[in-house]
Amino acid sequence: MNIVVCIKQVPDTETKIQINSDGSGIVTEGIKYVVNPYDEYALEEGVRLKEKFGGEVTVISLGPERAKEAIRNCLAVGADKGIHLNDPSFEGSDSYVTAKILAKAISEIPFDIILTGKQGVDFDNSQVFAYLANFLNLPFVSVVMDLELSSDLKSVTAKREGEGGEKEMIQIPLPAIIAAQKDLNQPRYASLPGIMKAKKKEIKNLTLSDLDFSADEVGEKGSRVKVKNYSLPPERKAGQIIQGEDPTEVCEILVKLLREEAKII
Amino acid sequence: MDVTREIFWNVGNVALIVYILSAIVVFILVYGFYKRVKLWRVGKEEKRGDFIWERVKSVLLFGFGHKKTLNETYPGISHFILFWGFVILFLGTLIIFLQEDVFSPIFNLFFLHGNFYLWFSLILDFSGALAIIGVLLALYRRYVIKPDRLDNIFDDFFSLILILLVLVTGFLTEGARIAATRPDFERWSFFGWHIALLFNPSWIEVASLLVWHKIFWWVHLGLAFLLIGYLGYSKLLHIFSSSLSLFFRSFEPKGKLKPILDIENQESFGVSKVEEFSWRQLLDADACTRCGRCQDICPAYLSEKPLSPKKLIQDLKTNLLLSSKSLKKENPEEKRPHLVGQSISEDELWSCTTCFACQETCPVFVEHLQKVIDLRRYLVLMEAKFPQELTPMFKNLETNYNPWAFGFATRADWTKGLEVKSLSEDNDVEILFWVGCSGSFDDRSKKVSKALVKILRKANINFGILGNEEKCCGEPARRIGNEYLGQILIQQNIEVLKNYGVKKILFTCPHGYNTFKNEYPQFGGEFEVFHHTDFILDLIQKGRLKIEKKINGDLTYHDSCYLGRYNDIYDSPREILKHISDGKIKEMERKREKSFCCGAGGGRMWMEENLGKRINQLRVMEAEKTDAKTIASACPYCLTMLSDGIKEKGLEEKLETKDIAELVASLL
Ligand code: SF4
Ligand code: SF4
Repeated sequence: MNIVVCIKQVPDTETKIQINSDGSGIVTEGIKYVVNPYDEYALEEGVRLKEKFGGEVTVISLGPERAKEAIRNCLAVGADKGIHLNDPSFEGSDSYVTAKILAKAISEIPFDIILTGKQGVDFDNSQVFAYLANFLNLPFVSVVMDLELSSDLKSVTAKREGEGGEKEMIQIPLPAIIAAQKDLNQPRYASLPGIMKAKKKEIKNLTLSDLDFSADEVGEKGSRVKVKNYSLPPERKAGQIIQGEDPTEVCEILVKLLREEAKII
Repeated sequence: MDVTREIFWNVGNVALIVYILSAIVVFILVYGFYKRVKLWRVGKEEKRGDFIWERVKSVLLFGFGHKKTLNETYPGISHFILFWGFVILFLGTLIIFLQEDVFSPIFNLFFLHGNFYLWFSLILDFSGALAIIGVLLALYRRYVIKPDRLDNIFDDFFSLILILLVLVTGFLTEGARIAATRPDFERWSFFGWHIALLFNPSWIEVASLLVWHKIFWWVHLGLAFLLIGYLGYSKLLHIFSSSLSLFFRSFEPKGKLKPILDIENQESFGVSKVEEFSWRQLLDADACTRCGRCQDICPAYLSEKPLSPKKLIQDLKTNLLLSSKSLKKENPEEKRPHLVGQSISEDELWSCTTCFACQETCPVFVEHLQKVIDLRRYLVLMEAKFPQELTPMFKNLETNYNPWAFGFATRADWTKGLEVKSLSEDNDVEILFWVGCSGSFDDRSKKVSKALVKILRKANINFGILGNEEKCCGEPARRIGNEYLGQILIQQNIEVLKNYGVKKILFTCPHGYNTFKNEYPQFGGEFEVFHHTDFILDLIQKGRLKIEKKINGDLTYHDSCYLGRYNDIYDSPREILKHISDGKIKEMERKREKSFCCGAGGGRMWMEENLGKRINQLRVMEAEKTDAKTIASACPYCLTMLSDGIKEKGLEEKLETKDIAELVASLL
């Protein structure tokens, strides 16, 4: 079974994000990058499928040179091969372009299932898997909490969480794309022999020309979404504790505040 | 009449038979011992050949002198008199042998007579009597008092009874001989003489007495030979194995784990099979006498977790014995239980708080801790198997260099408003304050960091911190078994410290202190380190810190394992308390070397405590008994655990816990 896992390197979730002086992006100095947590669930699921049904896990990621480290981390927990879509012209790609490049690279390798996270925790667009399905002409299920492969390896049953929290069971034929939600599994920690072996595994580097794109089709130029300006959300105000002896009185104040200040009722 | 006795009196010319039999039993004993030595030697190399004189001293002091064994009165004394009784009886037998077979025939020299004989008889008689009392005390304790820490197997019973019978038949033989011959000087054989009185001529004739003597003599000989042969195959082997353990004890600092050297180029990590332990670690399996002292003091065991250090060592022994076949070349495929998972469960390994109480108390220097860590290393590094709470902890350490999910760039946020300088601004400082992860991120411990800053400023100490360049000291990862992560952090810290030319470092956290003091040198990081308790006391004594006010109310002091047992800092914190307190310092029942862990060491701080009782609550309840108002402590883990314990037990009104630095700072 050929399993492809798309991952993204994102700033660590604890990063204190700062906007650069002209508002054109974030300050990247001092940022620690990690594998997007949702992608870790996808990877874990991929490795489990491999352990159960045999085959190979290929991790693919689009990103600058530093993304190699993220791919290496995935190789340490059981992925077999890495593909790095790495070209300066890819910088600034939106979800649409990212999916386009990924689709091109994936279409050149054998695959039975493509796994990825339900969203990247940096921009939270949650779009790449859908575009990817479109480009590769595959069915997909997103926000998957549970995944079951049929014994003939021809289809998967995925349990997904709907917008209202309701659960749906969806069966689709393979090959297909699965976007993982966080309860899908418990991602493993790399063993030390795994880390050591990962250092020797090959990561294939693919550039603009390797994938037959022109520079206009990718990066900011090819993107449909243009970011005009970055700004930080306003600082959250400290919580308020309503003091008082009489519950009715306290409730009245609360209702008043919810209506007039928070404007939510 | 000469004052002496004939050695083979009444039994005829049996010397040759006796010596042939002796040779056989000694051979059996030596063979049993040799087989054990071979078994230990399947272990890996470990150097323990240095400090020869210190090693001999250990055997004299802790073996012959029973120094640790006597820490407990009843079992200590019963073992002491049994041991010394037997040593003297053995020497006596040796003297008889030398007289009979060396000095008489070769040098024609006869010394076992006259006054020497009288004293000889007296001393031997008393030794025999003492040994009997020792055995009886041991039997009474084992089978009547039945302390929880002793498990009784047949070997225990058989060994004690055998020893008793050897001693009793010895006295009976002597008594019968004296009764039959009745020389007056044998009054010196005090006990033998009184037993002889029992064989009164009014009911037993001399002729049948001679027969009885012969019977006693042979039975005594037979039992003694059985005992000697049995030595090499029973718990009694500990006479040798425990002595070896004393001889080959560690002279390394207590708080130092063996590193995995050249970790990048190793193929396997930690221990999953007995033969991956060192020979010294395997020797422990036989050195352990199952006395149970370690179990009696183990916080994991006492809080009803699956771990008992005694059982751990015994389970290792069972595995070693079961593995012995497959360890032989002819039988490599012989099935044997897995060391981790079957012989020793994962829960046992994760229950250990690495408090060191077991090792501190063990009379024969069994080394439990390195074993626990070696087995954990296998689980973490090879199998990536550990309580799932630890996955985020490891990942936090990797990305943010602290065990919690705080961004590394916020490490110095606690200094806001204090203007503590970091070395990147100015590295011309007297001492570096190593804040540590707790001191930087944990709300409760941040107060301790601030208190220390206040103290240092009052004392005019020019200090700095590393700020965001400080990373976890690596201790928790290492104690959990993640040696790789631990070493990465250690190396990164050493590099930064060397860049700034740091020489002196001050800690509030005993874990950081211990690892810097005892483990960083393994990786090339040599610094002069101080714990704040020592440091503050020094400031007070030198008059650099003037304290005019006093704390009201009684205090009790909780010893941190890594400060006390690991680094022998027991007195400085107590001295400080004496300086600053108005009320009494009321000690808890378990203190100093025997102090009870707070439950957070060995990475337990980051693991759920789902099994048994909560260790911190047990400790808080002990503190409550002192009626003190404040538990003073000197470790951020202890502070967290005790504060939690107080809350969980609803004792906030009665009891509070404060770091010593906080107490001192509150008076400035
Ligand atoms: S390890 Fe030491 S303290 Fe524990 S039972 Fe064995 S001999 Fe006794
Ligand atoms: S170190 Fe402490 S917790 Fe661990 S086995 Fe020894 S006594 Fe028990």
